[in-house]
Amino acid sequence: MYPVIRLVNRNLTISLNMGFLIWQVVFPLIYIFVAGFAYTALIHEVPFANKRLDYPAFIASGMIGFNIMNSTLVSGIIIWNDRRHGMFEQILVGPFTRTQYILSNVYTIGIIGLISAGLITAVGYPLFFESVEFNILTIPLVVFASITGSILFGSIASIISTRLKSSEGFNVVINTVFLFFAFVSTAFYPAEGAPKILATAFYFNPLTYLVDVVRAGIFGNFNSFVGLEMLVLACGSAVLFVIATNLLSKLEL
Amino acid sequence: MSCIEARSISKSYDGILAVDSIDLSVPTGKIFGFLGPNGAGKTTTIKLLTTLVPPTGGTIRILGMDAISNPLEVRKRIGVVLQQPSYEPTLSVEKSIEKYAMMWNVDKKLQKDRMEDLLLAFDLQDIRKKKNDDLSIGHRRRVQVAREFVHDMDLLFLDEPTVGLDPSARRSLLDYIKKRVREGLTIFFTTHILEEAEYLCDEIAIINKGKIIAVDTPAELKNKFGREKTIKIHIDTIRKDLSVLLQGIRDYQIDYNSGTTITIQSHSSENILLKILQILTVNKIPIEDLSVVPTSLEEIFLTMVKNSNVSSD
Repeated sequence: MYPVIRLVNRNLTISLNMGFLIWQVVFPLIYIFVAGFAYTALIHEVPFANKRLDYPAFIASGMIGFNIMNSTLVSGIIIWNDRRHGMFEQILVGPFTRTQYILSNVYTIGIIGLISAGLITAVGYPLFFESVEFNILTIPLVVFASITGSILFGSIASIISTRLKSSEGFNVVINTVFLFFAFVSTAFYPAEGAPKILATAFYFNPLTYLVDVVRAGIFGNFNSFVGLEMLVLACGSAVLFVIATNLLSKLEL
Repeated sequence: MSCIEARSISKSYDGILAVDSIDLSVPTGKIFGFLGPNGAGKTTTIKLLTTLVPPTGGTIRILGMDAISNPLEVRKRIGVVLQQPSYEPTLSVEKSIEKYAMMWNVDKKLQKDRMEDLLLAFDLQDIRKKKNDDLSIGHRRRVQVAREFVHDMDLLFLDEPTVGLDPSARRSLLDYIKKRVREGLTIFFTTHILEEAEYLCDEIAIINKGKIIAVDTPAELKNKFGREKTIKIHIDTIRKDLSVLLQGIRDYQIDYNSGTTITIQSHSSENILLKILQILTVNKIPIEDLSVVPTSLEEIFLTMVKNSNVSSD
């Protein structure tokens, strides 16, 4: 078995416990089924491209992106725990290089991101099946968004985990950053109709791009703006990945 | 043949020299003890030898390979138990050994057999299902050390492996190490417990302030630096006049604590003892107890570090 695969195996074993899986499924379910239906009284329909989506379908598709982002916290937590519990050094005195360690984290978050997207797509499917337009061109959009989104948010979590030394600091910063990403985005509500300043802020947030591309994939709405969002997502994830890799490579032992 | 050959290796952090041009030669199939006070450079040396950090200068050959240009190839053939704890908090004892074996690409069938052997050898069977997070410090350390023996290696670095272990677990570990060395393993061992080094090591190096101040077998170190013996003479009564009677004799001291104790520490302890015995006999002072204690490795270590501090100051 290749060293990176062995490390991915190890990462998945230490990350995928019952608590994490329940949190990964139950938390979005509450959003989709409780908030989704509760807000239907206030938000009847959400215009999306040439369609009008009901709110549960809109939020269910948004939750796919949201869940991908949340699951990538694993990357930061793995690095943080490895440093805190001495496994980072232990792995690096073993038959592995730093590059392999970093790549294993990327693959881990990619796998978790895809599993997470699959889970929420399956759970949310009954809500958006009327508007869904999966085809050979749109499914790759969801996969693209899942992978680039995982790398992008995984890199952010990794960067935070390399910069902070106390567990309290790590938790506060990561929760604040991800809370901003979650609520200042199009995951829960559309940019159209929001106050202009907020609508602009949505587009300073990578989750918006991730969610938009996922929705374009699910509802079959690919246009030049979505193409541009994909480009931003790809460039953003590449830049942040390089920064995260660089910081991890320089981490003192 | 040497397992480790280090020549003039140095390491500095922010201009401060942690390891100062040291030479090391560790023979294959032996236990090499590496002793030094806190901050002497032991852990930095281990980090250099295990390729965790690159040296500022010098050359390192491990198992015949250049450790600076081939760090990964070196790491594939060594094992390292770091001084700091390292564990997966969410995994059980057996799962963490199993996963560690998987990380080292140990054959599945061998994984199981070795794990059972290690659980037995390190007395971990009763806690095999417990999570690492729920273990005591001593148990966690035992798992950390046991885990390292699950993979094949030619050289093992043990950085204070007995920290946190009770005396019986410590002795079991030392005996297990001896057994593995008889099977061909080479061990680079650091400890603060000098009796351990004396019990285990074939050769010892003492490092202080980043420099090696002595390298030899424990017996030779004692021969070279440990001729001094400690002799104690105990008298039942308090004899304040003894210092007057012993005037002119050097290298002794008197303590008045539940009687009178004369302690002689000298390279010529025997001669001094004879003189004191003569004086006591002439003055009809009865001796309650007399003991001769050979100098321990610990005393040699303390003396050498003290002398090295004085000379470097």
